[in-house]
Amino acid sequence: MEDKHSTQNIEDKIMSEIKSGNVKLRSKYIFWVEKWGMGSALALTILGAVLLFCLLLFYLRETDNLWYLSFGSRGVFAFLESFPYTLVVVFIALIFIAGFILKKTGALYAKPFSYVSLVLVLSIMALGTVFTFVHVAEIIERQAFGGKPHGMILRPFFGQGMGKRMWGIAGRVIALDKNSATIQTPQEIIVIDIENLNKKNIPQLEQGLFVAAVGERTKDVFKAFEIKVIPEGKMPMIDRGIERRFGPPRIKMLMNSEARVCVKGCAQNHNTPEICFGECLEKYLPIE
Amino acid sequence: MYTVYMPSQENLTDEELIAIIRQNDKELYSEIIRRYQTKLSHYLRKFIRRDDELEDVLQDVFIKAYRNLNDFNVHKRFSPWIYRIAHNEALNMIKKYRKEVVSIDESEWEIIDQNIDLGKSVDASLTKTVVEQALTAMKDKYREPIILYFFEQKSYEEISDILRIPRNTVGTLIMRGKKIIKESLGKTLYGRQT
Repeated sequence: MEDKHSTQNIEDKIMSEIKSGNVKLRSKYIFWVEKWGMGSALALTILGAVLLFCLLLFYLRETDNLWYLSFGSRGVFAFLESFPYTLVVVFIALIFIAGFILKKTGALYAKPFSYVSLVLVLSIMALGTVFTFVHVAEIIERQAFGGKPHGMILRPFFGQGMGKRMWGIAGRVIALDKNSATIQTPQEIIVIDIENLNKKNIPQLEQGLFVAAVGERTKDVFKAFEIKVIPEGKMPMIDRGIERRFGPPRIKMLMNSEARVCVKGCAQNHNTPEICFGECLEKYLPIE
Repeated sequence: MYTVYMPSQENLTDEELIAIIRQNDKELYSEIIRRYQTKLSHYLRKFIRRDDELEDVLQDVFIKAYRNLNDFNVHKRFSPWIYRIAHNEALNMIKKYRKEVVSIDESEWEIIDQNIDLGKSVDASLTKTVVEQALTAMKDKYREPIILYFFEQKSYEEISDILRIPRNTVGTLIMRGKKIIKESLGKTLYGRQT
């Protein structure tokens, strides 16, 4: 009897709240907005992860990073130094965020979470690979270095590919002498000291060749432990970085002129590449 | 002269009722309350023992359900949806205050006795107390599916919808929960691991 009374009591209380207008139905548009918001956040996160995976593949394929492993144990530090940690960390974070949003929406709860995660990761990787093959990463790189504000956001992801390294170096040879080679990298002009290398292991170096070396940076000279000639076009991102920094026509002109001696001497006097190029090009290759 | 057949509210399914309520016949919500009040009270009783607290939570569940009716997909079943709300409210209550001792009534005890092989016990009332203690002590993730399956007579699919976990996981959790109960009984009554 008492139970029936209590039942009636709750029903009456709730219905009176509803009838008085104190409790109202939330508009269906609010739910739509919530669902669309969640859906859009999920789509954006997945798209971000796909783009980052695409950039990661692009980075590994087009920079010096993986090449350092070909030096054996000597190249490990250079490999670790040039590894794209920012890309990997943000990529993993985006996957976790996508998983979190998926869980929050409750859309796929009927499937085991491990299965959903696996499908999510594999789909992101597959799409990222497709994006890499259709040259999306090149477009991103162009945007990143194109000086436009939206592209600048992406620059940190390329930072390790273009930055100065302590244990490894890759670039184009612009001057040579008995004990050293001067190279251009996306960051600088630097002299590689090859004096202490085992003479048998020194490849035939020539101006214009692309080289990668492992060793140790000491102030303004890179002391090489091992150096290799890299076939043309195997590190396109580094190559493009050099072109952006120094410009392709000027490099070719320099390689055929006395100006290279000037640039080398200038770089050894701790001047910046801009100063050296400015001075030497004006002196030996004035613009007509 | 045509007579339009209009089914009475008792003959409508939950989902049909919700569709009508959403179209502005809020009076019909009382029918939903009548249909679910006893069931949800029974379910919530496993988490909340005090009558006044239970009544408050039950009221919150119905109000929350009403407010969010537009979020309900009428092509799915209503029962798991409202049980999910009740489940969340009960968990909030437990987190905020305390974990209650689970009490099992006679009819529930029969279900447990039939479905979990408890072995021959010397004292039925002691066995019941141990099962209650084991249910109270076990992790929520095992306790909730066990309560829904044995006491609320929900199917694996419904439990999956209420707890938002895969069906296979429901089965695994129930199996592990049963094992925990049997182990507790073994330890307490016979002083051994079962």
